[in-house]
Amino acid sequence: MSETLITLERVCKLYQVGEENFTALNDVSLEVGKGAFMSFVGPSGSGKTTLLNLIGGLDRPTTGSVLFQGANLENMSRNQLAAYRRKNIGFIFQTYNLLPVYSVYENVLFPLILNGQKENDVRTRVEEMVGKVGLRDQINKKPAQLSGGQCQRVAIARALVKDPLLILADEPTANLDSENSRQILELMLELNREYKAAVIFSTHDEKVTRFVRREVRLEDGKVSWDKRSDGTEVES
Amino acid sequence: MIRFWFRGLMRDKSRFLFPFTVVAVGVTLVVALVGFMEGVFMGMIDMTSNLDSGHLRLVNKAFYDEEHLRPLDRALANQRETHDWLVKHSNQEVDWSPRIRWRAILDVPDEQGETRSQTPVMGMGLDLKSPDSKEIERLRLKSSLVEGTLPKGINEMLMGIQLAEVLDVSVGQSVTLLGQSFDGGMVADNYKVAGLVRFGVSAMDKKMVLIDLTDAQNTFYMEGMVTDWLGYFPPSTDFDSYEEVKLSMSASLADWTPPKDWAKDDAPIVLSIRDQQNIGAIMDKFRVIKGFVVGTFTFLMVLVLWNAGILSGIHRYGEMGLRLAFGEPHWKLIVALAIEGLWIGILGSAAGSLLGGGFSWYLQEVGLNMGDSFAQSGLMINDVVRARVTVGGFIQGIVPGVFASVAGTLVASMAIFQRSEANLFRELEAG
Repeated sequence: MSETLITLERVCKLYQVGEENFTALNDVSLEVGKGAFMSFVGPSGSGKTTLLNLIGGLDRPTTGSVLFQGANLENMSRNQLAAYRRKNIGFIFQTYNLLPVYSVYENVLFPLILNGQKENDVRTRVEEMVGKVGLRDQINKKPAQLSGGQCQRVAIARALVKDPLLILADEPTANLDSENSRQILELMLELNREYKAAVIFSTHDEKVTRFVRREVRLEDGKVSWDKRSDGTEVES
Repeated sequence: MIRFWFRGLMRDKSRFLFPFTVVAVGVTLVVALVGFMEGVFMGMIDMTSNLDSGHLRLVNKAFYDEEHLRPLDRALANQRETHDWLVKHSNQEVDWSPRIRWRAILDVPDEQGETRSQTPVMGMGLDLKSPDSKEIERLRLKSSLVEGTLPKGINEMLMGIQLAEVLDVSVGQSVTLLGQSFDGGMVADNYKVAGLVRFGVSAMDKKMVLIDLTDAQNTFYMEGMVTDWLGYFPPSTDFDSYEEVKLSMSASLADWTPPKDWAKDDAPIVLSIRDQQNIGAIMDKFRVIKGFVVGTFTFLMVLVLWNAGILSGIHRYGEMGLRLAFGEPHWKLIVALAIEGLWIGILGSAAGSLLGGGFSWYLQEVGLNMGDSFAQSGLMINDVVRARVTVGGFIQGIVPGVFASVAGTLVASMAIFQRSEANLFRELEAG
């Protein structure tokens, strides 16, 4: 197995719903290697998004640990977690979540601005990244002027532009038709190979599972199987 | 980073235009209202002080107590010595002007010398002929002169324009003053009407006659005597300074050895403008009203901007969640929002200052003629109401405008602190 990027050790996550406790994740342990291209699949409420939130440092486990390159996220302050996300994590969303008042160029520039970089220093990189996702001609357009597939391409460029170690993609193809979904997944696979950023999908979409190299199935907050694309099981 | 967010701010009408408009309108109203109130109030104060009360006033207490009767026998003698004492014991910036307040019957004769018309008048004797006199400028007599000239020769007078109309008097005509002298005897003295004046105060235009101080002293047998000494500070002086100098002078009065010609029971007192004609109470009320107006507008602005901030926050929940998810710390997000509020506050305040200041400036230069409304009032208010553009007026508009914008944004952004990133993230996805 490649070098470990993420380690989840006996992670549990409980939510209080009224007076009841709801178990979103129950004793989940797994490792994700650098450059992985994998998916969390499962029905609604199985814990996919919760798992992404924990890995992304957006939430903390009730018990257990989430380690990023050996560093326990539990020990990080809120500001340190923000810095962790800023530096290491790229996000792709089902609804794209582009900033509507900014152009394609500015949306891709946004994470670099958050990282404190100056626009003049990163202009070329942003333009290159927009070109990589095939939107060079649309670089000055606003999200409202783009199709769903084009918006998701902008979101991919935005996630990759800061060269993160990990991209978390929450249902990225759910709002796209089959052809656009295929194109997006091919693009992500290509970029995964080129940029070596690990990609974790959370999805219902079977098309996604055909592209990934590893699939973790979740049911009722537990890992029910964890297999590579060749059918071999991954040992946790 | 600030430039990046500012670019977005300027493009997003929903998060810029509404709060900007609220601040601009609020600041416009405050600046215009404060300018108007200051103008009306200060106009009244200036008019009252120039014509009647001075900023400071030295007067014999016995005269002041029965001022309505104009008891000339309670005037203060030794004009020169009194002036020297005033200069020595007051602030060096104060200019002291001697005056005689009198009342008399003004008789207008016909060609045969018989009475054609007659009326009681209020009069003032003041320095109209000395080359270094500031009274002409102070009362704006040159610009107020409707017809004729300022008094130059002996026994010449200026008459209120409406009084002249009622009595059917024209420039150059001779009239007679019938009154009471300093020692209680009857006096009758002829004067030539040198000019007709529109004071701009209806009460004065109808009743007032001005004569030179020396002529008044001769007519009323008051050589070296005056009823009042009015002290004037430079225009920029704060009201509080009047009180300080008044208190200091009042303390010095106790040690003053009275001039030899003063009566034994003469007891001069020093008054500030606040002490006269209930002006102190009016000033205090004005300050309270002004504070209330500014406070109310500020409160309303904060309230509206708070709601605008909440609406904008809801509108921008996706953006907030995204920024937090992408690693912007909470505190930086709040600071960014505060800076955004500051920008909106500054731009809105600038626009409001321009509009409100422009309105005040227009009213300051052109004025609003309220002569008909004031005609029956008897108040010493200029018929043409003018606003006053002051630095204070802008400060009272701009500071609340900027504060309201930042406070409104910050209050609205408290919601961000109360939600964890994961919640915002979920709401971001739901949105």
